[in-house]
Order: sequence, then structure tokens, then C-alpha cells
Amino acid sequence: MADSPKIEFDHTTGEKLPHFRSLSEIEYQRIYSREDWDKVLPDAGEYPFVRGIHKDMYRGRLWTRRQQSGFGSPEESNELLKFLLNVGQTGINIDSDIGTKLGLDPDYPLAQADVGLQGTSMCTYEDMVALFKDIPLDRISSTLIFPPPSSPVLMGQYLLMAKEQGIAWENLIGTIMNCSFTQLVGPTFQANTAFFPIDLALKIGLDLIEYLLPRVPKWNILNVNSRNIRESGVDAVQEAAFVLALGTDYVDRLCKRGVDIDRFARRIGFFSAVHLDLFEEVAKFRAMRRIWARTLKEQFGAKDEKSMWFRVAVQTSALTLTAQEPMNNIVRASIQTLAAILGGVQSVHTTSYDEAFCLPTEATQKLAIRTQQIIAYETGVTKSVDPLGGSYLVEKLTDEMEERIWELMKLIEKRGGFIECFKEGWVEQELNQARYKLARQIETSELPIVGMNLFRGGETAAEIDIFKQKPDMQAKRIGYAMKYKKNRNQEPVRRALKNLYDRVRKESDKDLIVPILESVEARATLQEICDTMREASDFTIPQ
Amino acid sequence: MLRKKRIIMAKMGLDSHDNGLRIVSKWLVDDGYEVIYAGVYNSAERILRMAIEENADALGLSFLGGEHLHYTEKLIGLLRENGLSNVKVLAGGIIPPEDVVTMKKIGVDAVFTPGTQRPEILGAIGKCMGKEKEPDEN
Repeated sequence: MADSPKIEFDHTTGEKLPHFRSLSEIEYQRIYSREDWDKVLPDAGEYPFVRGIHKDMYRGRLWTRRQQSGFGSPEESNELLKFLLNVGQTGINIDSDIGTKLGLDPDYPLAQADVGLQGTSMCTYEDMVALFKDIPLDRISSTLIFPPPSSPVLMGQYLLMAKEQGIAWENLIGTIMNCSFTQLVGPTFQANTAFFPIDLALKIGLDLIEYLLPRVPKWNILNVNSRNIRESGVDAVQEAAFVLALGTDYVDRLCKRGVDIDRFARRIGFFSAVHLDLFEEVAKFRAMRRIWARTLKEQFGAKDEKSMWFRVAVQTSALTLTAQEPMNNIVRASIQTLAAILGGVQSVHTTSYDEAFCLPTEATQKLAIRTQQIIAYETGVTKSVDPLGGSYLVEKLTDEMEERIWELMKLIEKRGGFIECFKEGWVEQELNQARYKLARQIETSELPIVGMNLFRGGETAAEIDIFKQKPDMQAKRIGYAMKYKKNRNQEPVRRALKNLYDRVRKESDKDLIVPILESVEARATLQEICDTMREASDFTIPQ
Repeated sequence: MLRKKRIIMAKMGLDSHDNGLRIVSKWLVDDGYEVIYAGVYNSAERILRMAIEENADALGLSFLGGEHLHYTEKLIGLLRENGLSNVKVLAGGIIPPEDVVTMKKIGVDAVFTPGTQRPEILGAIGKCMGKEKEPDEN
């Protein structure tokens, strides 16, 4: 396409940038100096943790290399997990397919064509056992990407598996994502409300938290995902404000349930995006740490410093990746990974360069891990804590980001909090506006993307290997689910589901986790358990 | 009065990544089409029903997760069985190059992959369906 560059080059004057604004439209100054920032910083590991939550940061321990993974059947995903651990991944991050997240079994008609595509297909206790075969649950930490309604069911399967393997629950290490709003897309309204009543989803998520706190003390009970918010097209300020406001809503609800803040707050984590505006991203993470610490201490009266830690895992942005010249994505992901490290995050997923085409192949996942290892071991950026701290630019930008994030958080609070804003459609509106704006910025090259709207050169087909599923994978999973439900001992299932139904129908303010776990133990499938709760709430789902 | 061309915009199956669907829908509206936004989580049967009820001229389908072949094949089969072969089928999203070829063979009229710019999309859609249409008989 010859006509795309909107920036005109005059080689007598040299190339110029179209503007000097950050992605969040903060104007970068020509130069920053002591006049812009002249304060004293706390040490890393000191409140409000702007320089990092740990005193020694990566000197003490490198971040966790945690590539989100999962596809096809649990057996295939188990092989992939072992491959990733063998090439140097240091934590598991298992993603389920969408049907699993929504509480659907593989044989549900509308779920069938998506089985195993964007994550592993899970529905039975035996699936969980197959997924974690040969993986020591008490030595490797696992992040389970399951939101309500699937989170209590699959967490229940995980706990049952530990019990049957003789591993004490207090030794389990890992995270259940467990957020009802951010684990699909957006949170756009329809995507997050069509398959389960949103209030009930929120409730069972909170029930699960209360269940886990005393019984699985090292387990992280909630991870609020702003990466999915950012990937809708919002800017860094909106990303941070939305997720911190949502995090605040969760803390508030747990406090109102009478749970002591210092018992649960340290078990909440975040999952963020990292974009290409390197300094802005660094400033974002530094500002988010400050805001979360202040919120927990000043608004909620937390005493334990660990409660105030903004612990964050990140995944580099896929929105910034292009299908044109996909190798360029390796460069983008490397810079984003570097930004995350300079920002002091706790774990990283470097997005593979082939994501604009398909799920990553083993080769591209390995490259993503290698990218992190090169930054960790070869660049030296990890050898000093908060290496950009004290930079006039970064400090000034951190202050500016913080101010803008607070401002937006206050607006959300005035509207009743993030959850209320989601329910009344305000979030949806903001997301759509952001998308239209992003599309316009890409179109006008106001947001330059090399190889796409700038220096676009020749539309030769990309030469990359495409990830392929086994052709009979879906049929096998569908057949498995149907056979499983036919061949098991039905009476205990019927009884357990009846109890769950009655609890939801008649005593829905009481804990729902115990009846869910009893259903898991009776070998009810994921959808059977979710359907029971749906039916008890007179809720119908798309056919 | 000529009536505007009517396009149903939808995602099919369980994937709900709808950035592309929202943006292209707006482009179509701005370009003078009547867009019926069917949103996410659609089955082929639901889209067929809507195509009949709404007397649609085209269906715009957006995919991300690898479910594109299944749904386009199924939907085009249903359109044929119901005598709606005249309804254009347009698709976009994350679709590997060799599947683009397959989809066109199945009968998808146009496929747009990531990074395709507005003029190209609107140009191709305009050409494939002719923008204005004779008045409705009813």
C-alpha cells in the first residue's frame, strides 16, 4: 500500500515525530530538570512502595516467568506445561477455553466449536488431574485463569486433587483469578453477563475467597485483570483507574462481609498490560503502587504493609502487535518486557509474535521465555533496584499519572464505584469511545505503527508457522463429556446438585462453596454445577 | 426512496473480542449502511433467523479464536438451504492466510485480516454489494 504514510518525509530536514504526547496524551516536555521534580524518595520496600514492594527487588529474586498457556485437551496442555517448565518457565499460568470460563461443558451446542481453542478444555475432576499430571502442587506455583462461575468449581477440583494426592492445603501455592468482570473481554457488558447472573457470579467469587482464606493460607484469592481492560483500547490512565477502582470495590465488599483487611488484602494481586510508551508504562506501575498502598492504608485502615502491596503480573500487549511483518512484534514485545522490568513487576508473560495469526507455537513461546531470560541475565537492568527512580522525567510522569488516575477514580467512586458503573453501562460507553478513538488514531497515523500505518511495505504473505490443533480434538472432547455424564454413578450427583439448587433457591445469602464442592466430589461436571445455579436463579443462557 | 443496504454485524460462538466488530460497525454506519448489531455469542441458526427477519443484504462476521471455518461453513450451508444465497457473507479478524483461501472457496465474499485499513474494507464491501438498493417491495 503506497498511500498510507501520513507523515511526510523531507530528507533535507530529517524525520520528525508527529507529536510529543504520551499514549495517555500527557505532553512530554523538551527536557526535565530539578524544577519539575525535587523530592526525596522512600527506599524500595518502604511505604508507599513507589520504588518497588521489596527492598531488594530482582537482586533478591528475579520475577517469575509465567507464560499463559493451555490449548486442546488437558492431556495436551499438560505436555505443554512440562515443555515450558523445561525451557525455563518458573511458574504455571493455565488458561482455559472460553466455554470453561463461562461454565459450559464441551458438549453444549454453542460451546462445541470453541472447545480447546483459546485455552484448555476442562469440565471434569479427571480433567484437572490430567492437566497437573507429574506437576508437584506444593512446589510449583500455579495461576488458574478461571473466573466465576467456573472458579469455585475448578478450584474445588484442584483442592480435591491435592487432598487425594496427600498434599496439605496449607502447602498449596498459586492464584485463582476469580474476578467476575475482567477475565473475558473488556469488561464489555454482554460478554460478561450473558452466561451467568452477574450478582451471583460476584457472590460466589467472594464466597470462594472466604472459603480459601483460612484453609489455603498461601493461596492468592483474587487477581483483578486490567490487561483485558487495556486491550479494549483505553489508555494507561483509564486502565489503572478502572482496575484500582474495581480492586477497591472488592476490598470494600470483603470488609463489609466482616473479613479483616489484613487477613485478605495481601492475597489480592493484579494483572496488567504493558504497552510501548516505555516511560509512561514505568510511571504507571510506580503510580499504581502508590495509589494502592494509600488506598489500603488510608481508606481501609490496613496495618500490615503486605496488605498495601500492589503486586502485579503483566502480559505484554497484543493490541500493539501487527499481522504485517510479524517479526517486528519480537522487538515490540522485548521493549514492553523491558518496560515491565523497569517498572518493577512481579511476573511477566511476553506475548509471542505470532498472536496476530494464531495461538503461539512451542517455538514462539520458547522465544518469549528467552526474551525474558536475556533481559534478566544479559542486560544488567536487574542489578539495581528501580533504576529509573530519581529521573526527573520518570518522577514527574509518575506524579502526573498518579494525579490523573486519582481523578478518574474519584469520578468512578462518585458514580457508585466500578461495579455500579459497569452495570449501568458507563464502562461500556467509555470502552467504545476508546475503541473509536484508537481506530481514528491508527487511521491518521497519530499513533504510528511501523509496518502498518507507517513504512508499510509490500503485502507479502507472512512466513510464519501456524499453530494447528489436532483435527479430532474437539470431537474427542465432546464425546468424552457426553460419555462421562452417562457412565458415572448418577445418584450422588443428583443428590449433591439438589442440595446446591435448594441453597441457591432458598438460602442464597448463605455460603455456596460447600455445596459446590460436594457436587465436585460427587463428580458433577462444570456445566451441571453452573446450570444448577442458573436454574435456581431462573436464568437462561444463549443457545 | 432507495433504502440503505442492511448489514448484520456479529461474532459467532463464544469468543467475545469485539474491538473489530465495534469499529467496523461504526465505519459502516458512517458510510451510509444500516447496521444491525447482533453482538457476541451468536449461533449460526440465530444469524440465519435474523437474516430472514431483518431482510439483510449482508452478514459481517468477526472472528479471533480459530472458530472461523466452522461457523462460516455452517452459516453458508444454512443460507443455501433457506434460499438466501444472495445474502453476502463478509468476515474479518484473526484468520491464518491459508484459511482465508479456504473461506473464499466456501463462499465467503470478502475476508479482512488485522491491519486492513478503512478505505480497503469499505471499498471491498461497497463493490461486493453495491451500496444503494431498490426500494423494498413490501
